Amino acid sequence: MPTPLSYTGDTYGEILDFVYSEAAALDERRHHDWLAMLTDDVVYRMPVRVTTAHSLDDSLLVDMAHFDEDRYSLVKRVERFDTEHAWAEDPPSRTRRFVTNVRGWQGETPGELLVAASVLLFRSRGDRHPPDLVSAGRSDVLRRVDGQLKLAQRELAVDESVLRTQNLAVFL
Amino acid sequence: MNLDEVIADVRRGMIPATVYSDPELFELEKRRLFARAWMFLAHESEIPDPGDYVVRRIVDDSFIVCRDEAGEIRGLFNMCLHRGMQVCRSELGNTSHFRCPYHAWTYKNTGELTGVPFHGEAYGGEAGLAREGVGLLPAPRVDVCEGLIFASLDEHAPDLEDYLGDFRFFLRVYLGQSEAGAEVRGPQRFVINSNWKIGAENFSGDSYHTPHTHASVVDIDLFRAPKANKRKEGALYFADGGGGTTYKLPDEGFRGNLAHVGYPDEMIDAMERVWSAEHRALVGDARFMCSAATALPNLSFVHNWPQVNADGLVVPFVSIRLWQPISATETEVYSWFAVDRGAPDWFKDASYKAYLMCFGSSGMFEQDDVENWTSITAMSQGQMAERLNLHSRMGLTRDGETVVPPLSNWPAPGRAFVGFGEYNQRQLLNLWCDHLEAGEGTANGAAPPARAATLD
Repeated sequence: MPTPLSYTGDTYGEILDFVYSEAAALDERRHHDWLAMLTDDVVYRMPVRVTTAHSLDDSLLVDMAHFDEDRYSLVKRVERFDTEHAWAEDPPSRTRRFVTNVRGWQGETPGELLVAASVLLFRSRGDRHPPDLVSAGRSDVLRRVDGQLKLAQRELAVDESVLRTQNLAVFL
Repeated sequence: MNLDEVIADVRRGMIPATVYSDPELFELEKRRLFARAWMFLAHESEIPDPGDYVVRRIVDDSFIVCRDEAGEIRGLFNMCLHRGMQVCRSELGNTSHFRCPYHAWTYKNTGELTGVPFHGEAYGGEAGLAREGVGLLPAPRVDVCEGLIFASLDEHAPDLEDYLGDFRFFLRVYLGQSEAGAEVRGPQRFVINSNWKIGAENFSGDSYHTPHTHASVVDIDLFRAPKANKRKEGALYFADGGGGTTYKLPDEGFRGNLAHVGYPDEMIDAMERVWSAEHRALVGDARFMCSAATALPNLSFVHNWPQVNADGLVVPFVSIRLWQPISATETEVYSWFAVDRGAPDWFKDASYKAYLMCFGSSGMFEQDDVENWTSITAMSQGQMAERLNLHSRMGLTRDGETVVPPLSNWPAPGRAFVGFGEYNQRQLLNLWCDHLEAGEGTANGAAPPARAATLD
């Protein structure tokens, strides 16, 4: 892996702008704003994590994911929230995404940046059950489109083999 | 809790709300149902080669489900004979031997104990500790049906074939679509604050919830069939060990109806070859396509055909799901994607996409189901809930007659009704009652299994 972008440089600042704006859009359930931050050919994945012997190298399944989304399916998920029948998030969860350990690199393709980050999702629903936490590593590709950074790829390395949240009606 | 009263109420379709959270009842379920039924562990395609294994549970008991070097499928209780450590702690892999991390006792993937460090010095060799014929405790019964690997903790359980009975006909619709059989991916695993029975009942026959709970899926044009006036045209069937729901198909014949739900010609060719005349009549003449189903106690299936891309491509998917009980109020959901092994690659990809959009941890159907089920489980825990019997008599009049007669021209096994009704949920819970009433011990009335004192 080449040297990460300097934390004091302008490009790193742009990456943080993007990452924090995206987290705010999701925390505030501005899903259409979030869709506008994705490229048309976006690939959004969260492979299933399994417990394997010796090393973590094979601990993400290659053929099964919790999310394996393109723009069509992400738009459907957001359109669903716009209906009056999306009970899983009605009443909505209170969510907060803590995005940290952000590192950036110039991608090999001009106009693309590679971003690694950690994300911790706090999700509280109703008043009966304790809140859920979902922890994951992010590997993102950001692409400059008409001067704006957009998310072109996200691979979420979720840290639990058994999710302790009742569904993924939320994005990380 | 008075078990006799609970059973009497359940049998008349008036379900004491506390059955969805009572810990005392859950203990009875463990001893009388889960310890005697055939419990699903894995699909054959998860362990295709010698040495392959997955680790799965039957409620509290961990089993290594593996294919030994001779190709035989084994279910080995994952507890070291020496000090009780969990021998295999990864959930999948390939190995010829399992070595306990505590003192390095080593077992072949047949279960046989092959290695005891310092066997001579520490134990006096075979004179002190005979290794011959000793191994990890095998699951008392292991058998396979339509690629599904089951085990029973009851060595006297009826044969799997008899336990499932005519429900096997419907397994073929989901998992026997060609000579090659199915392959699975996954499972996705997630924990929900729900009693295990709620999901099992829902999948067995709750077509009535689909139009409202899943209205959003219709709203966004992902899957149009669940509209109420369409859903009520489906038949609800129950056949021996399980039952399920169907959708009514158009009148386009066997091949046309399979094409309608998105199967390509080459897969239809295969189904035409391997399915029975009754299967062909179900789809082509009676015009029903299987959707959700449950086999007692906690194994469910679903088959739907959503739109998977913006061009309007409709593709069916199959999912296998296990409602793995953790406690009276918690369930771990295991959700697999299944597809015919002989299907073309484009179909496998599109069908996988269809599955992910609809079911499993992020599925747009499943999300809304779980919201309901956690709520029912929570509501059932109070003292007011102890006074309430939930109404599960849909399809029956007060004098016990069915609102509509059973379908006279149902070409498949079992009994079927068209329209909304809770026939299947009642029948599933009737079978549940049979187990709870039978008491402890084994299916043939023998005493509970003695300690398997393998090292004495």
